[in-house]
Amino acid sequence: MDRGIVIFLGALLTFSSSWLGLVVFPFRQLGQEQPYQKDEGDIPYPQPLQGLALAGMRVYQHNGCMYCHTQQVRSEKFGDWWDANGEHKTGADIKRSYGLRRTVSRDYIYDNPTMLGTMRTGPDLANIGVRNPSEPWHHTHLLNPRSANSWSIMPSFAFLYAREKIVGSRSDKALSLAREWTVDPGYRWRPSAKEWEAILARQGDSLVAQYTAGQPAAIDITTTEGKKRLLEFWLTTPEEEYQVVPKAEGEALVAYLLALRKAEFPLPEAKE
Amino acid sequence: MAVTVAEMSQHDRAKSAAERAAIDASCRGPVLVFASSAVFWLLAGSMLALLASVKLHVPYLFTGSAELTFGRVRMAHLQAVGIGWASLASVAACLWLMCRLSRAELIYPKMLYLAGALWNIGVSLAVVGIILGDGQSVEWLDAPPYAPPFFVAALGIVSAWTVAVFRRRREPHLYVTQWYLLGAVFWFPWIYLVAQFMIFWSPAVGVVQPIVNWWFGHNVLGLWFTPVAVGTAYYLIPKIIGRPVHSYYLSIIGFWSLALFYSWAGMHHLIGGPIPAWLATASTVGSMMMFIPVIAVAINHHMTLLGHFHRLRYSPALRFTVFGAISYTLVSFQGSLMALKSVSETVHFTHYIVAHAHLGAYAFVTMIMFGLFYYMIPRLTGREWASSVLIRIHFWCAAVGITTYFVALSIGGWWQGRMMNNPDVPFANIVAYLLPHWLTRTLAGLMLTIGHVAFAISFVMNLAGWGKQRSGGPTFFVEPEKKT
Ligand code: HEC
Repeated sequence: MDRGIVIFLGALLTFSSSWLGLVVFPFRQLGQEQPYQKDEGDIPYPQPLQGLALAGMRVYQHNGCMYCHTQQVRSEKFGDWWDANGEHKTGADIKRSYGLRRTVSRDYIYDNPTMLGTMRTGPDLANIGVRNPSEPWHHTHLLNPRSANSWSIMPSFAFLYAREKIVGSRSDKALSLAREWTVDPGYRWRPSAKEWEAILARQGDSLVAQYTAGQPAAIDITTTEGKKRLLEFWLTTPEEEYQVVPKAEGEALVAYLLALRKAEFPLPEAKE
Repeated sequence: MAVTVAEMSQHDRAKSAAERAAIDASCRGPVLVFASSAVFWLLAGSMLALLASVKLHVPYLFTGSAELTFGRVRMAHLQAVGIGWASLASVAACLWLMCRLSRAELIYPKMLYLAGALWNIGVSLAVVGIILGDGQSVEWLDAPPYAPPFFVAALGIVSAWTVAVFRRRREPHLYVTQWYLLGAVFWFPWIYLVAQFMIFWSPAVGVVQPIVNWWFGHNVLGLWFTPVAVGTAYYLIPKIIGRPVHSYYLSIIGFWSLALFYSWAGMHHLIGGPIPAWLATASTVGSMMMFIPVIAVAINHHMTLLGHFHRLRYSPALRFTVFGAISYTLVSFQGSLMALKSVSETVHFTHYIVAHAHLGAYAFVTMIMFGLFYYMIPRLTGREWASSVLIRIHFWCAAVGITTYFVALSIGGWWQGRMMNNPDVPFANIVAYLLPHWLTRTLAGLMLTIGHVAFAISFVMNLAGWGKQRSGGPTFFVEPEKKT
C-alpha cells in the first residue's frame, strides 16, 4: 500500500476517535435537554433571553467581557482551602455568593453563544442579576468601575454612555454621580490649578455658601488649604448643566446583567 | 537523510545541489508571500498584545475608545498571532519542507498566491472586524462570521498543494517530518470546519458549544502548530548538525501517540464546569498519555544533538530551534501535570493558564518558526542575513522575554488560584496581588516586541537585497557539505 494512504488512514482513525468521543457523543447526549418544570403549570426554567436583555448579550459578547468574567459556578467539592483555624474546606464559589448551587448543562440550553469563560480577572457573573440587582449601581460601575471600587482594574465602558446638556429637568435615567466622574466620562477628572482658580473667581462665593450650608465649619478660600478643601467638596457634587445617560447599548447591557440569574433556581441534577 | 557524505560522488553532489536550487526557486514566490505576511502579523499581534497587557495595570489607557477596549484588543491579538503569524508561518513551513523532503517542485504557484491573498484578507477582516465591534467571544474563534470563509478557502488550497507535492515526490524514502506535515494539513481543516459549523453555522445547544470550542482550541495547538513545529525541528536539527535522527522508531511512536492522545486532551479547560464528568476524566487520561509522544521526541532530539551542542554558538537557526524543542518537552510535561485534579483546581481561571499557553505558542512553536525562518529565508532569497547583531538582539530578547513572561505569570497565576479558592480572601486583594505580575508581563512583552522588530528589520533587509550573496552555507556556521 502507498505510504501516503497509510498515514492518511492512520490520521483519520486516531483523530476520529476523539471527534466521536468528545464532539459527536456529547452532542447527542446533551443536545436534547429540555427546560425543567417541577409541576404542571410551573414556569419552566430556564427561559430564553428576550428583547433588551438579548441585545445586551450582544454588547457583552462584542466587547469581550468574557475574557475577564466567567459565568459558571463550581460545586461545593471543588478546590481546596484552609480557614483561619487550619481546617480543610472546599467550594469557594458558592461561599463567594456566585450561586446557590453549581451550574449544570441545563442552565445554558438557551445560551448562544455559551460564554462560560475561562478567566476570572473579575468575579463570576452567572448570578449577578440576583447578587446585585441595582440598575443604577451597574450603570455607574460600567461608566467607570473605579467610581464603585477604587481598586478596580476593569476598563471603563464610557462609550456606552453619553454626556449631554440638560434641557429642562434632569433625565430619570441620568447617572447620579459626582462631577469628578462625569466631566470626562470614563476618567476621573480634576481641574488644573489654573482652571480651579478661574472657577473660584467666577463662583467662589456661591460654592462657599453651598459648602457651609451642609457643614457649619467655616472655610477661608484665600488660603491654599481652604482652596483644596473646597475643591474636594466641589468634586463630589453633581454637575449642574450636564448629565450622563446610558446609550441604547448601555441600557441593553445592564438589562442583560440583571437577567443573569443562573445557579439560583433549584434543579434536581444539581443537588451536590 | 541517512546518506553520509562519503557515499556521495562529486557528480551526485553537484546534481543534488542543482536540484535543491530548482526546488527552492519554485518555492520562492509563494513561500515568501506566506513568510512575509506572517512577519507582518507578528508585529501587529505584538502591538495588540502589549496594549492589552498594559491595560490590565493602567486601566485608564485609551479608556474612552470602544475600539481599543481590553476585550476587543485581547480577541484581535489572538487572531493576529494565531491565525496570522503562527498559522502563516506554519503554511510556509509545510510548503517548503514538503518540497524539499519530497524532492519535488511546487507547481501552479498562482493558486498559492491566491491562497496567500485570501488568508490575509481573512486575518485583516478578523482583526479589523473585532476592533470595530464584531468579535464573537468564542476563544480562538473570535473572528466575525465574514472572515472564516476566506481562511477555509485558503486552507483548502494550501492543504491540497501540500498533498499534491507529496504525491509528486521523487524521493522514495519517507522522512518523519513529512508524516507530521501531512497530519497537520489534514487535521487543521477538519477541526476548523467542525468548530465553525457547530458553533456558528448551525449552533449546537448550550454547553456543547464550549465543548466543541475547547476540542478546537486545544487541537489547534496539538494537531496543527505542534506537528508542524515538531516536524520542522525534526528537519532542522539533523540537517544543521549533519547527522541523522537518532531513532526512526522513536519518531514513529512519537507521531502516532501524538495523533491518538493529544486529540483527547482538550476538556480539562472545562474542569469543574457544567459538563458531564466523564468528559474531563477522559481528557485527564489523554493528557497523562501525552508523556509518551513527548518523551519519545525529547529523547530523539537530545540524542541527535548529543556531542554537537557547541554548534548552538554558531547557528542562529539551531539556537532558536533547540530552544523551541526544549520548550516542547517542558510545556508538555507541564500540561500533563496540569491535568491532575489538585493542580488544575488551583490554576483554573487564572493567569497560570495564560503563562502555559505562551510557553506552548511562543517558547515552543514560535521559536521553532524563527529557527526555520533563519534557515529557510537565505535559501529562498539567495542572500545571507545582513546583521548578526540584529539576530543576537532577536534571540536574547525572545529568550529572556518569554522566560520572564512565563515565570511572572506562573507565580502570579498560582497564587491567584489559591486565593480565589479561599472565600475569606476579598477579591480586591487578588487584584492588588496581581498588579506587579502584570507589570512584569508588560516589560517581558516589551522585550519580545523589541526582538520582533529586530527580526522584521533583518527580514525586510534580506528581501530588499542587503547582505551578501549566499555561497553554500548560512552565515554563522559552515554547513557540513552533504546531500538533499
Ligand atoms: C480587564 C478585565 C475586565 C473586563 C474586560 C471586564 N471586567 Fe468587569 N470586572 C473586572 C474586575 C477586576 C472586577 C472587580 C472590581 C470591580 O467591581 O470593578 C469587575 C467587576 C464587574 C462587575 C461587578 C461584579 C461584582 O461581583 O460586584 C460587573 C457586573 C462587571 N464587572 C461587568 C462587566 C461587563 C458587563 C464587562 C464588559 C462590558 C466587563 N465587566 C468587562 C474586570 C473586568
